[in-house]
Amino acid sequence: METKNLIPIEQFCSFYKIETTFIDSLESFGLVEIIVVDNNPYFSEEQLAAVERMRRLHYELAINLEGVDAINFLLQRIEHLNQELMSVKNRLGLFE
Amino acid sequence: MEYIDYYKVLGIPKTASEGDIKEAYRKLVRKYHPDLNPNDKDAERKFKEVNEANEVLSDPEKRKKYDKHGKDWQHADEIEKAQKQQRQSQSRRNPGNQNNSSEFSGDFSDFFESMFGGDMGSSRSRQSKFKGQDLNAELQLNLEDVYESQKQTLTVNGKNIRLTIPAGVENGQTIRIAGHGNPGANGGPNGDLYLTFSILEHPKFKRDGSNLYATVDVDLYTALLGGEILVDTFDGQVKLKVTPETQSGSKAKLKGKGFPVYKQEKTFGDLYLTYQVQLPKNLTAQEKALFMELAKLRKNGN
Repeated sequence: METKNLIPIEQFCSFYKIETTFIDSLESFGLVEIIVVDNNPYFSEEQLAAVERMRRLHYELAINLEGVDAINFLLQRIEHLNQELMSVKNRLGLFE
Repeated sequence: MEYIDYYKVLGIPKTASEGDIKEAYRKLVRKYHPDLNPNDKDAERKFKEVNEANEVLSDPEKRKKYDKHGKDWQHADEIEKAQKQQRQSQSRRNPGNQNNSSEFSGDFSDFFESMFGGDMGSSRSRQSKFKGQDLNAELQLNLEDVYESQKQTLTVNGKNIRLTIPAGVENGQTIRIAGHGNPGANGGPNGDLYLTFSILEHPKFKRDGSNLYATVDVDLYTALLGGEILVDTFDGQVKLKVTPETQSGSKAKLKGKGFPVYKQEKTFGDLYLTYQVQLPKNLTAQEKALFMELAKLRKNGN
C-alpha cells in the first residue's frame, strides 16, 4: 500500500517527544484511525490537523482524554452550528 | 506604544507567587486557546496577551526587569540601553535571524519588543511544528465574481497563489487549499490555507443557494391587460410574458436563470421575480375622469 499520504506514528511521536500510547489511546476513543502498512502504524494526512490539535489539548492544556473527546465532539457541533448560522444569515438577506 | 499591565492580563496581584502565575496562566490559556475558540479573533488576541504576560512574569529575570521599568516605560533611556544590549547579544546568538515560532505565538506587542526584543525565549521554541501552520484568509468578492468559475492570483503571506474560484461559491464558505500554509518542519507537510469567501450583497438580486430573487416593476396597464416586459437576469435581459390581471406581489419563476450550483457544471437554480405594479402618477383630468368611470363600473357591477 502507498504510504505517501500517511504519517508514521513513530515519527510523529518522536518529533513531539510523546509516547506512542497517546495515539493508541486516541484510537481507543475513536478519535483517530490507525492504518497499518507492513506492520508499521500510520494515520492519514487528513487526520494530522486533528491529531495535532488533540496533542495540544492534552499536553499543553493538561486536558485528559475524556475531556479531549468531549471537546472534539463540541467543536464538531460548533462547526455544524456555524454552518447552519451562516446559511440562515444568507437566507435572512432575502427579507431585508 | 501602549503600556500593558501583565499582572492585570493574568488577573493577579503584583505580589503573586510563581505558583499563582502558573495557575492563572493555565486557567486563562484554557479559556482562550485557539483550539477551543476557532475563528474567534477576540479570543486569539487575548490568548496572545496571556502568553505574553506569562512569558514575562514566569521568568524571574524578565519579571524583575518588567517590575523595574514596566510601569515607567516612558523613561525610555534606560530601556533603550537595555534593548540595545539585548539586540547585540541576540544577533550574536542567532545570526541567521531564524524565528522559531510556535503555532499560536503570533506577534508580540510593541511594548514587549521594546522591553525584551522580538525573541520569544526558550520555552516557546519547544513547540516547533511538524506540519506547517495553517493560514486563514478572507476574500471579498461581488456576486458577479462567483457567477462563473474564474482564475485569480492571491497574495497570502507574500506568496502568490493561483487558484480557480469555483462558480456558485457561498457567502461564508471556506475552502481548504492544501499545502499553501506555512512550510512544515523536519520534512513535514506544509500547512493548509483556509480561504473564506465574503460575498457582498447585490443591489438587484438576492441569493438563496442557487436561487435568485428580484422584484420587477410592471406598469398598471400591462399588469391589468397583460403584455411583455424585459427583465434583467444574471446573463442578460429576457422577455417575460405578463398574464392579464397580474397582481402586485405575485411571483414568476424563470427556470434555470438563477445562480450556478456549486461544483455542478452547467446546472443553474431558478430566478424568482416578484411583480411590483406601478400606479400612474400626476393623472391628467381626462385620465382621472376615466378612472372615475371605471370605479363607478366596479361599484355598480362587480
